[in-house]
Amino acid sequence: MDAAERELLAATVHAALADADGRADDVLADLGWLDILAAEPDDAIAVVFGALGRTGRSASALDDVLAAALGRAPSAGLAVVLPAYEHSDPPARRGLATARVEDATELCVVTRDATTTGVTVVAMPAVSVTPIHGIDPELGLHRVEIDADAPPEKIAADRWDDAVAQGRRALAHQIAGACHAMLDLARTHAVERVQFGRPIARFQAMRHRLAEALVAVDALEATLAVAADEPNPMTAALAKATAGRTARTVARQCQQVLAGIGFTTDHPFHRFYKRTVALEGLFGSAETIELDLGRELLAVRHVPTLIEL
Amino acid sequence: MKRADAPTIAEFRAEIRAWLDAHDDELAPRYAPPGTLDDRVAQMQRVKSILFDAHWMRYGWPERVGGLGGSPMLRTELGASLAARDYVDPGSFSLIEVLAPTLIDYARPELAAEVVPRLLAGTEMWCQGFSEPGSGSDLGSLACRAEPDGDAQSASSWIINGQKVWTSLAQYSDRCVLLTRTGPAESRHRGITAFFVDMDTPGITVAPIEMINGEREFTEVFFDDVVVPADRILGEVDGGWAVAMSILPYERSSCFWQRIAYLYRRLERAMASAECNDRNAAIVGGAFVQLHALRARSRATQHRLATGATLGAETSIDKVLVATAEHATYDAVRQLRPGVIELGDDLDATAWRAEYVYSRAATIYGGTAEVQRNIIARRLLELGDED
Repeated sequence: MDAAERELLAATVHAALADADGRADDVLADLGWLDILAAEPDDAIAVVFGALGRTGRSASALDDVLAAALGRAPSAGLAVVLPAYEHSDPPARRGLATARVEDATELCVVTRDATTTGVTVVAMPAVSVTPIHGIDPELGLHRVEIDADAPPEKIAADRWDDAVAQGRRALAHQIAGACHAMLDLARTHAVERVQFGRPIARFQAMRHRLAEALVAVDALEATLAVAADEPNPMTAALAKATAGRTARTVARQCQQVLAGIGFTTDHPFHRFYKRTVALEGLFGSAETIELDLGRELLAVRHVPTLIEL
Repeated sequence: MKRADAPTIAEFRAEIRAWLDAHDDELAPRYAPPGTLDDRVAQMQRVKSILFDAHWMRYGWPERVGGLGGSPMLRTELGASLAARDYVDPGSFSLIEVLAPTLIDYARPELAAEVVPRLLAGTEMWCQGFSEPGSGSDLGSLACRAEPDGDAQSASSWIINGQKVWTSLAQYSDRCVLLTRTGPAESRHRGITAFFVDMDTPGITVAPIEMINGEREFTEVFFDDVVVPADRILGEVDGGWAVAMSILPYERSSCFWQRIAYLYRRLERAMASAECNDRNAAIVGGAFVQLHALRARSRATQHRLATGATLGAETSIDKVLVATAEHATYDAVRQLRPGVIELGDDLDATAWRAEYVYSRAATIYGGTAEVQRNIIARRLLELGDED
């Protein structure tokens, strides 16, 4: 997909998600999400998760991304168990799941012991499912516990690492989309809100906050481009960690610019803010990932440059 | 080595790294780091001379100034490889990137052909005379005066009076790219003219300033009835602002990439003797994430430049990221080696301390972080004028 095609797709997906009354999953299915994911996975993930972030909609497309990475055919009936919050190890018997788990017929779960990584597909009756409300009930997360003892099919260990990388890339795109939305809202507010007889956008203190937010968002976009150009677990981890840092910077600056109105549910800011807070711990927040990366670097006493001109 | 075609970036990178590995004995500093400023300047000139003779220093520069052509990214790769090996200080070495293109674009072709090879080969040093005591962030207010000896359009020489400050390495320099006021004081950026001045011209006095880290890299430069031939004007009379601004794309691409290579190297060196524990892992991981985001952004910027894009206000994002990452890297250095920067008295500690203290200037030089944020707010976020 060239840049123009990607932009067209992004505009189409964004418009469909922004306008739809129906479930976001149905909107994506109508747009041919699974076909695009199969044909152009990198662009599909960037566009769809970016649009989910920008519109604040929630869908269970993450299940499809992970299923594909694990070598299973993605379908609306197949949910994938996510690792526990702030973790990235295979979930085994306990983990998280998207809203898909409510209607799915099968659940894909990855297990790992000292020697073997395996994947099992279990039928839904063998799973206990509890909805999570938390800070962002609309995100539709669930807790799952698997009661079955089906023998796992052995997979290569790096299959799971690839799935984690894809999951992190998808979530980082979604967080980036939400950050763009927060910045747009704060910018509009700064230009329109009048205090002391002038728009608050004319005060340098406000301008510098918004500039800081834009610096963070642009840096995140650059790491996402690298994660697509040089796909590997480390570039994905770096993008997700940057997403976590960026979300906090953008939320802090934008919330201060929005001031009182940003603390009400009349204004849409709160939805994007809560979404980024909830998404941050999936596959690890910035701190968790940075700790892992730091251990990796310290073990070899080397800082990899990863990308060249 | 000399070859028929300019190499690709990847070929050049592989070749230069192999060559540097093979010539490490020759290129490595001959003093115990950090050495004196005299040592480091001599080392830089020596390295440039070796690399010019071996042709590496000529790639990416136009043939009419002694270069071998090819993408400017070739010279960025060279500078980054040198910085990553501690052969040269990237801040001093990358001055080439802000000075040589100015001569190539704005000097008489014969003058550029004569002097640029000397800069590249390390037989000359040049400095940049921009800032003044009264003109820091507000460069358009500069006051160092140049008067024509006769009519402005036909004068054969100009007379310069005034003062520059924060001029890096002027005490070692043979020439200066100098901005002067030629219009009325209120003409701002419209009344500025750039000159290429020989530093041994009578009337020039250089006074080094001791910096916060004890080094004397910065200077004050005084001009007292300094006579400069009119053929040393760079660009047009009153056209100096364009000359000054033309530096930006080089500074914000090549210089940054060299700086980034240096910062990766610094983090790596600081963690060489750090204990493997969770505290240090978190410090290393945090700095690594910020360096990677900067490197990712800078690579995208340079690819845009290479495909013919004009770099503008969006490079203020790069500038803020470089400065922030430099602070973060040296904060990590300090935390990874507790007591070294604060209390150490050996050579190693002295070197780290000088670097750490200097790193605080990253949000000041080359346009302060505040000026960058003003630009981002007005030009990128389109927030309109400020109060």
